[in-house]
Amino acid sequence: MDFIIDVLTLLHDRADFFLNLVFQHLQISLIAILIATILGLLLGIWISEHQKSSNLVIGIVNFIYTIPSISLLGFLIPFSGIGNTTVIIALVVYALLPMVRNTHTGITNINPAIIEAAKGMGSTKMQILWKIKLPLALPTIMSGFRNMVVMTIALTGIASFIGAGGLGVAIYRGITTNNAVMTFAGSLLIALLAFFMDFIFGRLEKALTARRPNAKRKVFVEIASAAIVVLLVFAMLFSNLFGKTDKVIHLATKPMTEQMIIGEALKMIIEQESDLTVEITEGVGGGTSNIQPAMEKGEFDIYPEYTGTGWNAVLKEKSIYHESMFKELQDKYKEAYDFSWVSGYGFNNTYGIAVAKDIAQAYNIKTYSDLAKYTPQLTFGAEYDFYEREDGYEALQSAYAFNFKETVDLDIGLKYQSIQQGDVDVIVVFTTDGQLNDDRIVVLEDDKNFFPSYMAYNVVRNETLTKYPELKEILDQLENKISDSTMARLNYEVEVNKKEPKQVAKEFLDELGLLKE
Amino acid sequence: MNTIIEFKHARKSYGDHVVIPDLNLKIEKGEFVTLIGSSGSGKTTILKMINGLIPLDAGNVYVEGKDIASEDLICLRRNIGYAIQGSGLFPHMDVEDNIAYVPNLLNKKDKQRTRKAVEKWIQVVGLERDLLDRYPDELSGGQQQRVGIARALAASPEILLMDEPFGAVDDITRHMLQDEIKRIHEQTGVTIVFVTHDIREALKLGTKVIVLEHGEIAQYDTPEAIQQAPANDYVKQLISDK
Ligand SMILES: Nc1ncnc2c1ncn2[C@@H]1O[C@H](COP(=O)(O)OP(=O)(O)O)[C@@H](O)[C@H]1O
Ligand SMILES: [Mg+2]
Repeated sequence: MDFIIDVLTLLHDRADFFLNLVFQHLQISLIAILIATILGLLLGIWISEHQKSSNLVIGIVNFIYTIPSISLLGFLIPFSGIGNTTVIIALVVYALLPMVRNTHTGITNINPAIIEAAKGMGSTKMQILWKIKLPLALPTIMSGFRNMVVMTIALTGIASFIGAGGLGVAIYRGITTNNAVMTFAGSLLIALLAFFMDFIFGRLEKALTARRPNAKRKVFVEIASAAIVVLLVFAMLFSNLFGKTDKVIHLATKPMTEQMIIGEALKMIIEQESDLTVEITEGVGGGTSNIQPAMEKGEFDIYPEYTGTGWNAVLKEKSIYHESMFKELQDKYKEAYDFSWVSGYGFNNTYGIAVAKDIAQAYNIKTYSDLAKYTPQLTFGAEYDFYEREDGYEALQSAYAFNFKETVDLDIGLKYQSIQQGDVDVIVVFTTDGQLNDDRIVVLEDDKNFFPSYMAYNVVRNETLTKYPELKEILDQLENKISDSTMARLNYEVEVNKKEPKQVAKEFLDELGLLKE
Repeated sequence: MNTIIEFKHARKSYGDHVVIPDLNLKIEKGEFVTLIGSSGSGKTTILKMINGLIPLDAGNVYVEGKDIASEDLICLRRNIGYAIQGSGLFPHMDVEDNIAYVPNLLNKKDKQRTRKAVEKWIQVVGLERDLLDRYPDELSGGQQQRVGIARALAASPEILLMDEPFGAVDDITRHMLQDEIKRIHEQTGVTIVFVTHDIREALKLGTKVIVLEHGEIAQYDTPEAIQQAPANDYVKQLISDK
């Protein structure tokens, strides 16, 4: 019950945000529906007239339909990039099956005697199609169409996964920032939207196929058709879906709470200090692996990245990265991509070891080496993953000569609860975890630099830096302004206190005195 | 008398199966020709050769003196009425639209004229005007056949082709429909080619009867002549079934 109230409150408080998402959602899905309807009808009609090709075509369409949407998107990204084009292509491809299949079934199931009668009376092929075949196939086509509409609206929810808009943004943001209310609100709206559209088209179908259309029905058909046309035209005209305006910085973030906060902060400060507009593509699914190619193509200009990730995942270096290698990292990026690492934020999002504060104080433990002396009395907890990794538990144990009394597998969601309840004494954490913003827990110092370094910077295209020379200075305003614990605190505001990333970013800039009124 | 339909050495086969080996036939204008034969003897095939639904393998078919092979088939068909078994009415159109189908193909703009034709023909086939906005599945079998005939005649064709049009109705209705089509023939003077497998129907309706045996004409004559002098055993057998 409380949950429902939370959802309703959120929808009410953030009505603008959701309304905008609903509109984007409709835009993307309606364009896909329109294209799929035309293509599907044409293809369906064509294979009905050329029966020999029908098995092959339906086979292909059927096969495509069974490809999981995530793989299809992954497959399309290298060709059509991140964003709306790819999403619309994917949606159209899925929507084809119900349209093609139902058009074909509807036409081929017509009693051949009726078609022969029409032919024998002197109808042309086109007249047979328009006057006989399509009207008789209409109920079957409509059921495929409605099916397709509902499916497309639901599937548009994945759009945000690759940086397009729509209600998926709410769902995805909810998942990334651990906000179930947000996720549910987005899903609910998608369901309502699908239901609503199906209702409209259901009424339209009834009105269209009514035997003796009365005046009321006729009016309804006219109004509904007009509304759909207006909506479509509106969607087309006002879509900035494909166009790119000048003086726009395209900023991408990975699906992580801290990236969303930083993204919002960057947008605010860049737009305040210059006449540039920042367009954020929030939480791009797959993170670096999808953002990097889009950066190379120039679809994005800037995104927050971690040094260790750049070294291993982008440059594909095998060695472990430490900050002493920063110059090398910078040079390799310049040479390979003509990107720069600029204005490091000052925090390091890497593995860390946290200890319950009472224990740390009792034994005066500050570093990993301090901890090593007391391990025989302590219980260690980490997620299953950490024991499996090559650079995980075993490597750590031998680097510092740890010898814990006991080691425990913990669910990543329950890690912090376990240490607070005293079930374990030591846990492995990420150094900017929101839950670290808790004075019962202390993060120790990795005095032998065991864990690779993942310092957060902006990766920017040099082309962008040259085109907008003012940008570098603006980015520098945030240089070294965020420590590990500050980042953890900001994450905490979003993940635990359920504040909006934008709000948290604003409050933080305000704290730093960077906001002008 | 002038010939309106003529077959010259018409031939049709499906693979090895020769359906019509060599057909020579003249039909005079204004006749009511019934075409009788057992199932599979090629009646429908002959009928569909006239409106070009089935192309010939060899030979020629002439309609009003012109070889249909060199005619525009769409145009030809619009001037030949076509009624088939089970009426073949369009289920998504009401009676009016069904009857108006060919007139609409011919003169889309002239709604007035089409409407007049519809009203005329619904009366000619003996139906009430208030059936005009009914749909085929809201009619009895007999009513459907009548609409089928009205539709075939709506554009006032010179020729009417009918393929077992009364095959699917009960005896009483069939008798009424037979009387009706005979009256229409007398009233309009349209040339009718009427396929049936019922010898009584063939003899009752036809001014001429063609008896078909394995795609070949066993006898082509008036009903009286056929009854008095059957040409062979098959015809004899056929009329004795009567
Ligand atoms: N499309 C076709 N393919 C193969 N054989 C056919 C085809 N149409 C008709 N036939 C054959 O031609 C013969 C004559 O058919 P039809 O003219 O329909 O006979 P009827 O109308 O006298 O019953 C039948 O043996 C039938 O099986
Ligand atoms: Mg037949």
